[in-house]
This record gives sequence, structure tokens and C-alpha cells, in this order.
Amino acid sequence: MQRWQKDLVGYAFISPWLVGFVVFTLGPFLTSIYWSFTRYNVVSPPVWVGGANYAAMMRDPVFWSSLLLTVKYALVAVPLGIALGVGLALLLNVPLRGISALRAVFFVPSIVPAVATTVVFIWLLNPQIGLVNSVLGLFGVHGPAWLREPTWTFWSLVMMSIWTVGGTMVIYLAGLKDIPLHLYEAALIDGAGTWQRLRHVTLPMLTPVIFFNLVMGVIAAFQHFTQPYMLLLQQAPEESTRLLAVYLFERAWRYLDMGYASAMAWILFVIVVLVTGVLLRTHKRWVHYGS
Amino acid sequence: MAARFLAGLLAFLCLVTCSRSVPLTESSKSGTRVQVRFWHMWTAEWKTVVDRIVERYNQSQDQYEVVALSVPPTGAESKFLLAVVGGDPPDVMAQWQNVIPTWADSGLILPLDDLMSPADRTTFARDAYPVVKKIGTYRGHLYGLAIGVNTWACYVRLDHLEQAGLDPAATPTTLEGLVGWGRRLDSFDRQGNLTRLGFLPQWLLLYAPLFGGGFYDEATGKLTLDRAENQRALAYSVEQRQKLGIDRVTRFDSAQNAGFGVEWPFAAGSLSMTVDGQWRVEQLAKYAPALKYKVVPVPPPQGGQQGAGYANGNFMIVPRGAKQARGAWEFIRFWSGLADPAAAAELYTWGGWLPALPAVASAPAYQRYLERFPQFRTFLELMPSEHLVTVPPVPFQTYLLDRIEAADQAAARGALTPAAALQRLSGEIDEERARRKELGYER
Repeated sequence: MQRWQKDLVGYAFISPWLVGFVVFTLGPFLTSIYWSFTRYNVVSPPVWVGGANYAAMMRDPVFWSSLLLTVKYALVAVPLGIALGVGLALLLNVPLRGISALRAVFFVPSIVPAVATTVVFIWLLNPQIGLVNSVLGLFGVHGPAWLREPTWTFWSLVMMSIWTVGGTMVIYLAGLKDIPLHLYEAALIDGAGTWQRLRHVTLPMLTPVIFFNLVMGVIAAFQHFTQPYMLLLQQAPEESTRLLAVYLFERAWRYLDMGYASAMAWILFVIVVLVTGVLLRTHKRWVHYGS
Repeated sequence: MAARFLAGLLAFLCLVTCSRSVPLTESSKSGTRVQVRFWHMWTAEWKTVVDRIVERYNQSQDQYEVVALSVPPTGAESKFLLAVVGGDPPDVMAQWQNVIPTWADSGLILPLDDLMSPADRTTFARDAYPVVKKIGTYRGHLYGLAIGVNTWACYVRLDHLEQAGLDPAATPTTLEGLVGWGRRLDSFDRQGNLTRLGFLPQWLLLYAPLFGGGFYDEATGKLTLDRAENQRALAYSVEQRQKLGIDRVTRFDSAQNAGFGVEWPFAAGSLSMTVDGQWRVEQLAKYAPALKYKVVPVPPPQGGQQGAGYANGNFMIVPRGAKQARGAWEFIRFWSGLADPAAAAELYTWGGWLPALPAVASAPAYQRYLERFPQFRTFLELMPSEHLVTVPPVPFQTYLLDRIEAADQAAARGALTPAAALQRLSGEIDEERARRKELGYER
């Protein structure tokens, strides 16, 4: 069998995925570039309008407020998620009886569908009959109207993202297990205490995993949709829930403005690529690979 | 081996063919009648009502047979769009979303006046309630015929009035008076939280017309978003909220849900007087039959507009490419009562709907329904009013409604003053119009 014939057989075997990728991912991805330069309401053929969608976006106050809110969310939720994920992994890395069950308990929220989590949080955070304010009330604290006041709605969104921190915690745990023991032995021999071992051995050795989660977290934050959209449907203040992905969805499917939404999607894509690029360029300064 | 494979394949094909033959048999039952495909978004008990109406129509027909399909509301719009674009749309669809201007502009739906006979056109123009024409008309053509209108009025719990020493027979005739009663009906817990809300005016779309305002000037065809009357309506609503405590009302509101039947906060007892639609009358009769209540029109403020309010509806549309547009129109005629008001009246009582034509409302079957549900009459009496308004007929209705609601909420939360909220709304819509113009959406 010739080389090209062998290759052909290989491609034939992966063709279900290839076809799916081209039709459902690459095709729409490339088509959306064209759409972003058109007036397109889904039902009529797209009409070329040049850069008008991009120009209009620069003047659109809702676009800018959504973008700023998304950046704010990413700046708060991602570092907080990393700190809590690492902290939780450290706590759950101790050899205790039943620790596996405890790890499972923290992991479970991350596999609950986002819609279900949001519905539960809507009830938990109800200002008058919700569990959170009832507990705060036991300590004499008059809890806020979580999902009706812009400031508190933002923090509620952050809280919901932290609720699923168990997913990244598992990755940090794997990273912790991967740190060679001889490094800790050497540190102990040198007289390093707990804090010094954490500061100079554990965290540096964990940086590749932290970096991975940072990149993935930033991408996810810029695409965050389900929870803010559901809160918006529940009459949460729009200035704290209309993230860029939510506004993009509204433009595309509520207002049937697919050309404008495509342009917005490409701006979002470029932002995510730029931020990831910056992280990749700076990571050599603080990420330590190998032992 | 090959023979076995072939036999298996044949058996499979036979099964597939047989399973596909079910709908074919169904269609052949119609004999010489032409099938009319009808999509709607009603589910559960409403679907049963629609099926009954379709069955009644089919019994009356020897020319057409309507085949109904309930499409889940969440995916109905995209399914419809794809069906039209794909060249295989239904012949008629019942809708209630704000789609008429957008779909009419895109050439997705047909003007119904092209399907109407001259007699139908005359009857509709002469007799249909003004708001029915407003709901379905865009750029001078009728694109949607409302087969059920929703209006809003004030539900009043008589037991709460009696507890507060208020005379149920003397319900205030001004908004200020009703708000005054509301404060006497409020109740609080030890922490000062509201446990029962008497009455609070909060819904700009409804109150703006009552203050003599509104969002659209039919004479000029222009939007009137931040006119003085709208500002007064919003300012009054915010002022009442502030008096009661914005935080307190916010907390109370978020503890309530839209509710169905006995879960509706009015039926549950946490609202004494509230504004809601006519569909609650049947719900209360079914789920809270012992509840004593009355329904009164929402009163205007002093110097405001009598008979004003907000309405929307369920309407029939005929898509471009419908293969049986004539058959679709015949079905619309039947349901709306243009064909036979007396026969249609009975259908309207099955769903508890407000009709498009006064002739349907005055038919014996509908009158019997009103005797059975006297509270329903208040909603019907609003229908002839010229001051009953609906969503402005602009091709960005959904965006407009979203922004009006955002302005209403921002003012209610105290994030913006009423004037600033309406100014922001006006600016946003101007910007949207400019954008649409630049992109070539606006003609």
C-alpha cells in the first residue's frame, strides 16, 4: 500500500470528526467573518455593508458597558477562583480518613448544570425568604437584595462561579501530587518551615497548572453566558448582568441582527486572543517547568 | 449470508415505510379536502382547547382540513424562520411575540388584506376593536389578525377591604385614591418587611397612557418616548415606591413569583389590589373558587386619560410560501368570527379570550360566559377604547420594549431619575435608529 493510500485510510477513519468539525465549527467560524461585514437578519440574504457594524459598535454604549463589565468580571472571578481552588486543593491534600469523599463533595457542584445551579442560587439569594439572608439574620445582619441591586448582583455572579471551583481544584490536586517529594525533603533539611515550603516549593511547582487554569478561566470568563442571562431574565439589573456574551446573544437571536452580533463575536475573539497572547508572553517570568 | 442481509434490509425498509405511512393515512382520511397546516405555541390545557377549535372547524368543512401542530414556544420563532427560509412553512401560525413589523419588513409574512374578500375588509375595518387593528397593522397593511386580546385591569380582594374598613362598593376612581387605599392595606412584620402590599402602580407601559402619554403617536407615526406625560407617569410610580421604601418593595417583589392559580400572590393573599390580565378570572374560578374579589379598570390619575391602558394579543399570521394561503384565511375567518360571530363566540368561551369583534362579544354564547364570570366584563369593556394602546409598530419592537423596561427598572431602583431614565431611553432608540439606517435596515 502506497503512503498516500495509508493516509487516505487514516483520514477515512477520522472523517466523521473531520466532517463534523468542518461543517459545524470551521464553516460557521469562517462564515461569521463574512457576516460581520454584512447586514443580516437571518431570514433575508446578507447584504455587504463593509465595516459599518464595527463602526456602529464603537458608538454603542451598551457594547462598551457590556465589555467593561466582562473585563471587571474576569479580573475579579478568575483570580478569586484560582486562589480558592489552590487553597481548597491544599486543604484536601492532607492524608486523612475519608478525604476522597470530601474531595468528591467539593467536586460535585462543578458537574451540576449551570441552569440548575442558577435556579438554586436564585432561591438561596432571595432577600426575603432566601437561606443566605436567613443565616445572616441569625447574626443580626440585614442581608442585601442580592439579585436586584447592581453591586450585589455582580458579587452574586462571582459567588456562583466560585461555587463550581471544585472542577479546577481537582486539577490543582493532581498538580500537587506531581510535585517531587525530594524537593520537600531538601527544604526540610535546609530548615524551611510550612510557609516557606509553600512559598518556595509548592506554589512555584504548581505554576504550570495555575497558568493553565488562568488561561482557561480568562477564556471562560469572557464567554460567560448562562448564569448572567438567566439572572437577566429574572429581572436582575442589566448593568450588572449584561456581559458581552449575553449582549451578543440578544443581538443575534432576540433582535435578529446576526451581522452586528458576528462583528461583536469577532471583537470578543480578538480580545480573548490578545489576552491569551499577553499571558503566554509573560508566563516564562513566573511559570516554572520541571523539577 | 447475502440473502439474509437483503432480507433484513427489506424488513427494515418495510418498517420505516410503515411507520411513515401513519401520517399519510391520516391525510388520506381527509379525502378530497385540502390540508391546511397550522402551527401554534399553546401547550398543556391550552393545547386541548386549540385542538377542540380545530376539530370544530374541520367538522364544519368540506373544503379544508386543518392539521394543528403545537410547537414549543422557546423554539417556535427559529423553527418558523427556518421553515419559511427552507420553503416549507406552515400555512398559518398563531403568534404572540413582537414579530409583525420585523417579519413583515423581511417579507416573511403576507398582508392578510390581500387574502380578505372586499366584504371581510369592510367588516373588519368597520367593526374590529381599535386595539385589534393596532396589534396587527404595519405600514398600512394588516399582517396579523388578533384572535385573542389581553388587557389589564385591577383585581381587588374584598376580604382585605373589609378587614381594613374600606367600602368595597366605593372603589376609588382616581389613581391617587387607589394608592391611598393601598397604603391602608399594607401590612408589615416586626422587622418592617412588607408582608402584604396594598397597591403600587408599577408598569410604565400601562401607566403612561393613563397619564395621557404613550410611546407612539399614530397621527405622525413617530415614537414619543420622553414626552412630559410619560415622565409624570414614571415620576409618580417612583415617588410611590420611594414613599414605601425602595429597598422594602424590592425585597417584597423578589419574594413573589408570577404564580399560577393559588400560587398567584393575589390569590395567596400577599397582594390586596393588583393589576393583571383577564386570564386570571378563570384561574381563580378554578383554583380559588371561594375567593371574594372584584375587578375594576385601573383608574387614571386626576386629569388623566379615561379608558386608557395597554393591550397585546395572540394573532394569526400567514407566512410567505404558504401553500394553502386561502385555506389559512378561511380558518382565520372561522376563529375570529368574521365568518360567523355567533359560532366563534363559543370558541372564545373555551379559552376565555377577548374577541376581535364586538359581534362575537354580543353573541349569546359569549354573554352567557360573562354571566358566569362577571369579573371578565371589565376587561371586555376596555376593548372599544381608542386609548387602549399596544407596542409601537416599529421594526425593532423587541429592542424597544427591552429598553423601555430597562428605563422603568432603572428609575424604580433609584439608579436614575425618571427624567434621566427616559432621556437615556430616547438616546438609545435614536442611536439604534441611526445604526439601522446606516446599515440599511430602515427604509
